[in-house]
Amino acid sequence: MKFEASSLLRRLTLLWMFLAGTCLHAQYERVQLRVYGLDCELCARGVAASVTRLDGVKFVQVHLKEGIVDVVLKPDSRFRMSSLRKRIRENGFRPMEAKVTALGKFDGSRFEVTGSGESYEVSVAAQRAPPPIELTFEAH
Amino acid sequence: MGFPRRSLSLMFLAPLLLVSQAWSDAHGPAFGYSTTVLGAGDSSIETTVMRRLGTVMIGPVVAYGLRENLQISLSGPFNVNKGYHPVERFEAAMPGVPSVEGMVAWRFYDKLSGIAIRTESTFFVGFSGTTQHLLRDDGRPLEREPGLFGAAAVSRITRRYYLSAGAGYQYYGAWDSGKLDRESDSLLSSVVIGWRPPVFDRDYPKPDVRFFLETTGNWVGQAERDASEPPGGGGGQPQPHVVPASPEASTSTSQSGVIVLPNSGGNSIFSGPSVLVTLKSVGFQGGLQFALSDERNGIQPAERYRAVVGVSYYFLGGRGRR
Repeated sequence: MKFEASSLLRRLTLLWMFLAGTCLHAQYERVQLRVYGLDCELCARGVAASVTRLDGVKFVQVHLKEGIVDVVLKPDSRFRMSSLRKRIRENGFRPMEAKVTALGKFDGSRFEVTGSGESYEVSVAAQRAPPPIELTFEAH
Repeated sequence: MGFPRRSLSLMFLAPLLLVSQAWSDAHGPAFGYSTTVLGAGDSSIETTVMRRLGTVMIGPVVAYGLRENLQISLSGPFNVNKGYHPVERFEAAMPGVPSVEGMVAWRFYDKLSGIAIRTESTFFVGFSGTTQHLLRDDGRPLEREPGLFGAAAVSRITRRYYLSAGAGYQYYGAWDSGKLDRESDSLLSSVVIGWRPPVFDRDYPKPDVRFFLETTGNWVGQAERDASEPPGGGGGQPQPHVVPASPEASTSTSQSGVIVLPNSGGNSIFSGPSVLVTLKSVGFQGGLQFALSDERNGIQPAERYRAVVGVSYYFLGGRGRR
């Protein structure tokens, strides 16, 4: 009987660890980031190559004329918006505002992207979205 | 009449030896200064073939982006043949004479003010050592070690236009010869206007083409030789175009015991077109400059044109590369 309790405890611990790990994954789905300073094909290539290597990135498209870096994320990725902005700066360019599609929840007027620890101030209209909340908003 | 075997070996081996994860400035003009530096963790390798007067040089350059605004590079231009050789730098990215030069480029100012609009300024500091001595008919080869180079450039870049200006000073010392021989100092300044025709103003990923009009100005000081030492021979077999000894060219000896060589130094202005083509991670570059003015001291041969052809490969992906 003692053995069974120990086994159950071990299974519960593993389940908790699995669920906790799952919750840590961010729920960004797509980020369209405006970038200043991109003036040539090689610059775009460098940005695409380095952003592709960020965790959770499924696909990157750079639109030079609009200055947009379009990032599509894998489900349950570990992607962080702060990592993307840092990566853009490392390439010598300036990240500006972004259009973000993500799953999350509201904490007051802020929209917290699930599992990322990142939150954004969003419009009142957006706050009326029914759960589960998948929101597209401007992030600065 | 073929190239010397040693030069041929160097021509093929040096680029291979330098193949490593390593952009020079082949992101911009061929002759003039460019403010652009590699992204953090990016690297490049470039090989340039340069021709001026009778001399052909090959210039391999490897570069690495330490930070987004800080780049280090190593260049090692060497002579393929032995013709008359002006000493001044004519391509901003590397010395104009056979040397190995380490350079740091620091983009200390950048204003990214809009989509595809950037204004930036970069400092360059280089330190070089001699790899091949230049033979002279008027005496032993002159010292060029250590070589110190400092420059600054500013540019304004948009999708359609490119404007850049810069100036840099090359100093040559003589730290271990025990003599006062010293090669000419020189100054290279450049003004570059670039244009991307609408037909090439396409979105990524398409080949990119930019055209430039590059004007460079050189001031070259006069070389010095230790007056207390006999000038010595040419240091080798007489070369067909090396600086000749001129009986009518009087030398002046200063109180410090240095002879100023009359057949050295001068001023020149060159101008001409260049083009930069990038296909995926490869850049191709070519440029041709013609002399608008070439006033050399003494009886040095006149330089009519300069030509550069280069190819670069970029290792992009920066810090995310594994």
